Amino acid sequence: MNGEIAFWILSAIAVLGALVAVRKRNLIHGVFALLVFFAGLSGLFLLLLAEFIAAVQVLVYIGAVGVLLLFAIMLTERVAGDDGRRMTSRGWSWGLVVAVAVFVVLLLPAILQLPSPEVAQEINPSVEELGKKLMNPYVVTLEVLALLLTAALIGAVTAAQGVRMPKEEDLPE
Amino acid sequence: MSQEPLIDILIDILIATVPLMLIFATLFAFTTWLERKALARIQNRIGPNKVGIPCTRIGLFGLGQPAADGIKMLFKEDIVPRGADRLFHLLAPILALIPAMLVLCFLPLEFPWTKSLLPVQAFLLDGAVIFFFAITGLNTLAVFMAGWASRNKYSLLGGMRAVAQMVSYEIPLVLSAVIVVMMVGSLNAAEIAKAQTGWDWFVFSPWGFAAFVIFFIAALAETNRSPFDLPEAESEIIAGYFTEYSGFKFALFFLGEYIAMFAISGLAVTLFLGGGDGPGLDVLPWLSVIWFLAKIFALIAMMIWLRGTLPRLRVDQLMGFAWKFMLPLSILNILVAGFAWHAQQLENTTITVITWVISLAVLYGAASGLNQLNRSNVRPREYKYAE
Repeated sequence: MNGEIAFWILSAIAVLGALVAVRKRNLIHGVFALLVFFAGLSGLFLLLLAEFIAAVQVLVYIGAVGVLLLFAIMLTERVAGDDGRRMTSRGWSWGLVVAVAVFVVLLLPAILQLPSPEVAQEINPSVEELGKKLMNPYVVTLEVLALLLTAALIGAVTAAQGVRMPKEEDLPE
Repeated sequence: MSQEPLIDILIDILIATVPLMLIFATLFAFTTWLERKALARIQNRIGPNKVGIPCTRIGLFGLGQPAADGIKMLFKEDIVPRGADRLFHLLAPILALIPAMLVLCFLPLEFPWTKSLLPVQAFLLDGAVIFFFAITGLNTLAVFMAGWASRNKYSLLGGMRAVAQMVSYEIPLVLSAVIVVMMVGSLNAAEIAKAQTGWDWFVFSPWGFAAFVIFFIAALAETNRSPFDLPEAESEIIAGYFTEYSGFKFALFFLGEYIAMFAISGLAVTLFLGGGDGPGLDVLPWLSVIWFLAKIFALIAMMIWLRGTLPRLRVDQLMGFAWKFMLPLSILNILVAGFAWHAQQLENTTITVITWVISLAVLYGAASGLNQLNRSNVRPREYKYAE
């Protein structure tokens, strides 16, 4: 009962945030609305007792992705806000096709099964269990991912250094 | 989930949270007074000493100053610049305060009256430490929001500086906390505090001490405290991101900043200084709250002392220090702590002593080596025309 009330409130927040994020012309307003959506989603995870995923949702999506988006906007000329230029959307009909396809293929089967017959299994999404799973069966995957990320990091640093400019004293007079 | 009626749960939540807010708001008022007094003494002044009991000449060392400041803030006109984004200008100080308040409930403060509260116990989640870092990260957004919404170039510069600084220093902050999580094997704040009972604090080991120092420095930068107060450097960008704030909105920023200081000091106490551990707990169990708050205050006093002593860093020094000194050192420290954990499992005194000596040598060597590597090759200034 109480969980249901919380579910409706959080879902409303998430849906409203997503709508505003899509509809707003102002970039920064859009980003913050997107962050509201992420926050609502993390609340829903918390409601499902998946506290680690909720925390990671806040840490990665609001903390990292949000700040990354703001950084990207900060580096553009539109940091001061809306300057009246409009982004016109072409090809929205294709978007509609994709949206309908997602609804029919992914969501409709799930909706038709409601109310779901039974909860599949007793699951334990606790932090401890997750850590053990990561360290025991999936440790190789984890290591490979870490290696990949390190390589990406080094690549990013190399790319960011760019072409070395000749020093002033090396230039011919 | 639970079958309790909604109203009971709400009352339980109020019993748990309202005292927390009241205690820390009172401590905030006291800390502002303490900071002004201490800074004044460091600068050979007296500091606030007039405001005491109204209508009398009793000064009470100026203890009435916070109340007077609060009343002044409330009655000040709230000015919003014409070009500002009114909604975000209003939301930013609130967003600055909420995460700081929210993380207070992850601190393992064992109040006598929260023992019986079930929902609150449930809220002391298994992942308290990771939640703490996730929610304190939101502060960055509030600072950027304030800088952007003011539509003032100094505000925006301050906001940008704050974002860059907080993002950089979050990494050593989290990496130094990882050591404690590794040693205890839990992300639960209460369990981490429990693992250190009986003076077995993490700060009393080479790796723990190094981690504590890194954590404390990074915490200073995270809360925009001096010497890392570049986002509000008054000689360069007026007051940074809150240049355009006045009245109660400014007071909210101020409150948020201090609550964040309490929260991050509280986490430092939990992780490294044994939480509520201290003498006399067998006789009076509620003393643990007092010890906890006393340790927080010791760290706050340290912050005030540093503010009175150290000059502000330059931007390149700030970034270089985070990425070239703190980050490598904290990663090396994790490695050292990993070896130390394995050595501790053997429970052999000789091996423990050897581990301590080796890790001390490694950490000291790494710190001084990094210091040598980062030394900038600035020669003494040559004066051409002066002298």
